[in-house]
Amino acid sequence: MSLHARVTAATFAALAVVLGAFSVVLYTAFRSALVRELDEKLASEAAALAGMVEDSPPDFEYAPMPEFEAGPRAAYFEIWHHDGRVIARSPSLGSGDLARRSGLAAATLPDGRPGRALGIDRPPRPGEAPAPGGPAPVTVVVAAGTDDVDATLARVRSWLLGLGALALLGATGAVLFAVRRGLRPARRLAEEIEAIDATGLGRPLAAGDVPAELRPMVDTLNALLARLGDSFARERRFTADVSHELRTPLAALRTLLEVTAARERSPGEIRAALAEAQGVVAKMQALAESLLTLARVDDGRIDVRRRRVELRPLVDDCFRPHQGEARRRGLTFANELPAGAAADTDPEKLAIVVENLLANAVAYTAEGGAIAVRDGAGTLVEVVDTGPPIPDDLLPRVFDRFVRGDPARAGGEHHGLGLALARGLAAALDLDITAENRGDGSVAFRVTFPAAPPAPAAPAPTPGRPA
Amino acid sequence: MRVLLIEDYEPLARSVAQGMREAGYAVDAAGDGEDGLARAQAGGYDAIVLDLMVPKLDGLSLLARLRRDGSHIPVLILTARDGVADRVAGLDLGADDYLVKPFAFAELLARLRALIRRRYRAPDAVIRVADLEVDVAARCVRRAGRAVTLSAREFALLEYLAHRRGQIVTRAEIWEHVYDFAAEPSSNVIDVYIGYLRRKVDDGHPRKLLRTHRGLGYSLDVSS
Repeated sequence: MSLHARVTAATFAALAVVLGAFSVVLYTAFRSALVRELDEKLASEAAALAGMVEDSPPDFEYAPMPEFEAGPRAAYFEIWHHDGRVIARSPSLGSGDLARRSGLAAATLPDGRPGRALGIDRPPRPGEAPAPGGPAPVTVVVAAGTDDVDATLARVRSWLLGLGALALLGATGAVLFAVRRGLRPARRLAEEIEAIDATGLGRPLAAGDVPAELRPMVDTLNALLARLGDSFARERRFTADVSHELRTPLAALRTLLEVTAARERSPGEIRAALAEAQGVVAKMQALAESLLTLARVDDGRIDVRRRRVELRPLVDDCFRPHQGEARRRGLTFANELPAGAAADTDPEKLAIVVENLLANAVAYTAEGGAIAVRDGAGTLVEVVDTGPPIPDDLLPRVFDRFVRGDPARAGGEHHGLGLALARGLAAALDLDITAENRGDGSVAFRVTFPAAPPAPAAPAPTPGRPA
Repeated sequence: MRVLLIEDYEPLARSVAQGMREAGYAVDAAGDGEDGLARAQAGGYDAIVLDLMVPKLDGLSLLARLRRDGSHIPVLILTARDGVADRVAGLDLGADDYLVKPFAFAELLARLRALIRRRYRAPDAVIRVADLEVDVAARCVRRAGRAVTLSAREFALLEYLAHRRGQIVTRAEIWEHVYDFAAEPSSNVIDVYIGYLRRKVDDGHPRKLLRTHRGLGYSLDVSS
């Protein structure tokens, strides 16, 4: 149910109840006032009639009063002597009778109309001999139709109904209008939100004239949009990078195949072409595997199998594939981990982490430099090289995907995924990796245990810490 | 025709260079932007094939520097990014054409031929000098309607002379532009090949097209 309908229905119902109650009260008050007025008129007429009656001898000097004449809306009176004789009747009564009564009551008039009747016993006058304990000398009964009252009440009723309905409709319309108007910024907001597509995610919604109640919603939406925009932009960049990284080896493969197939080749030429193709395919496969592993890291689908791992031989194993390149670049390597160093961790994942750090060091350390692997307080392993330092603008992004250092040193063989992969896998092992330039120009990549929560009550042993 | 290839991914550079050499080009390869710029500035190239993502000096900067220095060498950009922005930036900076990786090698050759043709203001792939037709796309030659069989080097030499028809081409220019002569130890190799060409193209025809200008060079001429 729309806000519109909800507010309108609620307003309508509340107003209907209030107006109804008001009308009932007003009507009742009006009615009783009218009836009282009629009763007073009856009383004064009865008193006037009583004043015209002599009881001994019973006599009535009737001064004609128009309302008692016969007619469609006639009033009636009848006067009795206490001995039961009728002293006088109103002309409108003809030869009929009114019921003899005392006091006020609703009554049906002789002509069948509804009305009210009042009977009074005229008290004895001074000089008349009252019959002690006897009946009053004269009883006067007056009756009049309530048609006027009823007609007035009917008019009042229709006025109340009409005005009430009008007020109800008017108020509801006003509420409807106000709500619609009040919601216009919300509708505009909805249109704005509807117009958002993947390319416009970064653009915030205009809060402008949005009512204060909706402002927090707009702010939240804008924050959400900003986050979505960021992640879309990251995705787009990532896709562009992936396509770039795949297109170059694909181009090499295609050119290689087309050029080789363009003419007759000697077996030697074909062997060389195949070897070249194998190299390209290996590069593509490495890229695909890195991307797959990263995707698994992103999804949290990394299967960690911890066991006790000796770190020193693991580091040696990780360095072996890079030994040739290190030698070519004149780099020395020192595994300075103590002989017994061990950790409870997943050796395969840790090996990928360490190997990527070593590959990075081998690629980026200036020729003739040194690479060392150590441990330290709160640090599982630390890969330190003799620099040059990581440029300041690169340092915060060094673990991002497809970020490469000075490409001159990296050459065309690096995708810029190694450190991203290392960090992702380290996180799966509950480890952090940080990169830092040290004062002496060296660069350190540290694989650390996550920082302990601030001021722990009791120093708890960090899980996975080497014994 | 001598082409400079600036591409850092070695397997691609090797294949492209091999393919272009086999298509009759003299190819120099540079693995990074600085080397590429130095070679390009040294001149003598008929076209440059430039990868945008090369180390040290990226392709767009290289192109900008080259054009700022007043070089008009035709440049064909290779890019792995298929976004319009990259291509527009490249073309606006003075590139003459582009190809998105991966590309068909035949297309690379065709575009290269088109660039070189434009450079030497030849309207199409067949250069006509009197009754001599040099088809640089099909790499065949006809004289008076009869096919002339040439070796790759002979063709490369004739192609260059045909592109510069009516002009005197110095030995140094031939040295620079034509297929692999620079690698030849013998200094009179150009004279030798001019001799071969003359035999195959002019012998038996009353009208001699290949002319030697003593002390200056050679020309493929319509006059005489």
